[in-house]
Amino acid sequence: MRPLNFIALLLFIAGTVWVFTRSEKAVRKVQENYYSTISPFVSKGGEIDAFATSFMEEVEHSEVLQKRLEQATRERDRFKLIGIRISELESENNELRNALDFKKKTEFDVISAQIVRREPLTWGSTVEISRGDSDHIGVSLCVLASNGGLVGQVYQPGDDVSSVLLITDEASRVSVRVEGSAEVGILSGRRTNYGETPRLRLRYLSKNAVLQKGMKVYTNGRGGLFPANIPVGTIEDFEAGPVTGEAEIIPSVDFNNLKTVFVITNSPGD
Amino acid sequence: MFFYHISLIGLLLLSCIVQQFLPPINGWYDARILLLPLVVVCSAATTPTAGMLILTFLGGFLWDAQQILLIQGVDTEIYRDTYQSPIESMKFGYSILLFALMGFLMQGIQPLFKQGKWYLSAMLTGVAMSLYLTVEYLLLSFVRGGFDITSGVFNQIGLTALITMLASPLVFWILFQIANLCRHEISYDSLRQRTY
Repeated sequence: MRPLNFIALLLFIAGTVWVFTRSEKAVRKVQENYYSTISPFVSKGGEIDAFATSFMEEVEHSEVLQKRLEQATRERDRFKLIGIRISELESENNELRNALDFKKKTEFDVISAQIVRREPLTWGSTVEISRGDSDHIGVSLCVLASNGGLVGQVYQPGDDVSSVLLITDEASRVSVRVEGSAEVGILSGRRTNYGETPRLRLRYLSKNAVLQKGMKVYTNGRGGLFPANIPVGTIEDFEAGPVTGEAEIIPSVDFNNLKTVFVITNSPGD
Repeated sequence: MFFYHISLIGLLLLSCIVQQFLPPINGWYDARILLLPLVVVCSAATTPTAGMLILTFLGGFLWDAQQILLIQGVDTEIYRDTYQSPIESMKFGYSILLFALMGFLMQGIQPLFKQGKWYLSAMLTGVAMSLYLTVEYLLLSFVRGGFDITSGVFNQIGLTALITMLASPLVFWILFQIANLCRHEISYDSLRQRTY
């Protein structure tokens, strides 16, 4: 072995040992520094990405209109265009109205946030939201959707953006109860969740539980991290094991079309 | 050579940022291009062992800083109820070792790469990526428990490796351009030309 390679190998081993012996706090600090360093680039890139997406949508939209123009009169298409635009505005208006209604109706103090992007993890389910330390977003705050369903919890707040661990992630744990029964259990996500609708696992139910498809699942507030009575999903299937039972849950939140979320800053009990 | 290695580090940092904008393809089992690991393995084919070790260390460090989930503020009462410990995260730094293994794998056919057979190295990036993802998944299963290996997992690993491999000619092209700019010789052919 050449001396240079030998020295490089020794340095590599020493460096790797040093990295492996870092404490969790030190690793968290490294990650904070990493994300704060790249966040200006990410937010700038996000703006470019949004512009490109909007441009592409516009192009796609124009192509559709072009086909229609070939089949109908110019006047009729003009009205069609207006109709489409009105429908988009109506849909956007409804979404905003829902968000506003939710903010008014909810018993919690909430801050609305937009989902910026899905984070690039191979085996995880996390998203980045458009609120951070500057909006008083802290670790472990509960995140809801506009229909009141549970989305997840903040696990890494940054200056202007924060990372949210979705309940569909394997590392997520929520204590829940099944409506209309005495059953309580622990809800978690799956390591791999493919397809249109992600599924959740509800474990530690009693093996003799009488659960039917469609029964609703709510948080039970145990542990204090998630407030009680937040809808989580509905039961799809139940399987009794030798010791405990396990149910498959369809989340109450449509994670594929989630755009606006609400972070609970403090619950009524606080 | 020095400027070439500095440029590679710059390319690695750039790939960290670009990686943030490479979304998973939902219809393809959440497959995505793993740009940062790809830059590491492609660079490993163009550098001597010492340079490869530096790149894999830096690449693995940055990749883990981006990938590892350290969950804070868990419901401790939940774990008391089920007599379980909180879910484990992978140890920070494991990617450094996996990247180094991929780096050594790439260096195994470096003589062929230097003869101009870059396509063999490009194909090997696919093999290296699938091995990396398989080992990562097995480690994750070992650490967290629940060996849940399905066809979906194989599809995700296979498709991720495939689309990453398809991007490798572009990365090799960029590396050749950087080498030209830095007057760094990464093939026997150019060395031969210079000698004659």
